[in-house]
Amino acid sequence: MKKLKLNITVNGQKHTLKIDPNLRLLDLLRENLHLTGTKEGCGIGECGACTVILDGRAVNSCLILAGQCEGREITTIEGVTPEDGLSPLQQSFLDNGAVQCGFCTPGMILSARALLDHNPTPTEAEIREAISGNLCRCTGYTQIVEAIQAVADGREEQQGSL
Amino acid sequence: MIPFNLERAESLEQALEFLDRDGTEVKIIAGGTDLMVELREISPGEKGPGTVLDITPIDEIRGIKDDGSTITVGALTPHREISSSPIILQYAPLLASACSTVGAAQHRNIATIGGNVINGSPAADSVPALVALNAEAVFQSKSGERVSLLKDIYLKPYQTDIKDDEILTAVRFPRLPEGATSSYIKLGRRNALAISRMNVAVVLVIKDGEITEARISPGSTTPTPDRITTAEELLIGKEPSEELFRRAGQAVSEEMINRSGRRWSTPYKEPVIAALTARALGEAAGEGV
Repeated sequence: MKKLKLNITVNGQKHTLKIDPNLRLLDLLRENLHLTGTKEGCGIGECGACTVILDGRAVNSCLILAGQCEGREITTIEGVTPEDGLSPLQQSFLDNGAVQCGFCTPGMILSARALLDHNPTPTEAEIREAISGNLCRCTGYTQIVEAIQAVADGREEQQGSL
Repeated sequence: MIPFNLERAESLEQALEFLDRDGTEVKIIAGGTDLMVELREISPGEKGPGTVLDITPIDEIRGIKDDGSTITVGALTPHREISSSPIILQYAPLLASACSTVGAAQHRNIATIGGNVINGSPAADSVPALVALNAEAVFQSKSGERVSLLKDIYLKPYQTDIKDDEILTAVRFPRLPEGATSSYIKLGRRNALAISRMNVAVVLVIKDGEITEARISPGSTTPTPDRITTAEELLIGKEPSEELFRRAGQAVSEEMINRSGRRWSTPYKEPVIAALTARALGEAAGEGV
């Protein structure tokens, strides 16, 4: 296996790395960059726990080779968390009881964030559609949908950006 | 994951050059949503591809073009872009519907139509719509271009006639005729993130209360995708009605059994594909049928 050189921007920070060609984006984030907020659930793109934002769109980081991300920009849960406190979406998840075990939460937040970035005033159906690739086995989806709706409606306003 | 080398192709020419040299040992990756799962399932010690060739940087085979009669969709165009394209929504809305049912947002954002076509799954969501649009597949190799009717590239489930040195660069199809209506229905085990159990794409042209053109293209029904002409012929020259559409659905069921034989799933599929077809025809015909 020939090592590959990779230039990648993660949460606004540029990295130049030497990687194995069979490394997944998920492994790069967790093992090489120690950004362990991104979770591995199923590993086959069914559960959405590994969702990150790639060039503005939600993707499953378990289904992408790190080597395919040359010159591209990634946002993880660490990148949407302000230095102090929480983003409005994160706060809204707490306020609406949308977090129980927390394993699906980073992926849910990033799917919601990608939705709101492209469509700041989604309908409930659009919210449900946007998180349909993220499985939660604890709370049920109602509180999660309400948490996202609250941010979209401006009911959950916080300091800092979305 | 098993070891392999990863090569990036920056241009189509570079990719074709590479395949011409080492084609037999190479797997092409684009969206990766099928291939990454396949690679993961190869056990250590089992033979995998020596090299994975990443074609995602090749912009020349991405995007949707309309020359006024023919629409060309580059193989690297992701499903999200197709389902929201004004060109596709206007001139091939059944393809927009089909692409909107693929996986979840995370898949539609990167999974490409070229991958959906070339993976050859009988349950592919876009393929019945493309077959109903009389689409062609365009392949490139170092020795030139090859164009084939899309339905003819399928040899059997998960196998197409693509050569080791070829890349699927585009699918293209004529705009739907003036006044045509269409419908695409997918049946999955649940609404989101489900593989099609069965699906069907239909196109109707109704003039002065009479059906003048009909196309019926079911998925997960026959060993390779195809239009069901026996059912289509039943409709031509007739007035649309629930009873007529029920009979067309029946004809699709019968043709499924002719081609696929009676299998463990037949008691389920036989009534279901008939009902889906009748429903899709009813949707395409609109109110009052």
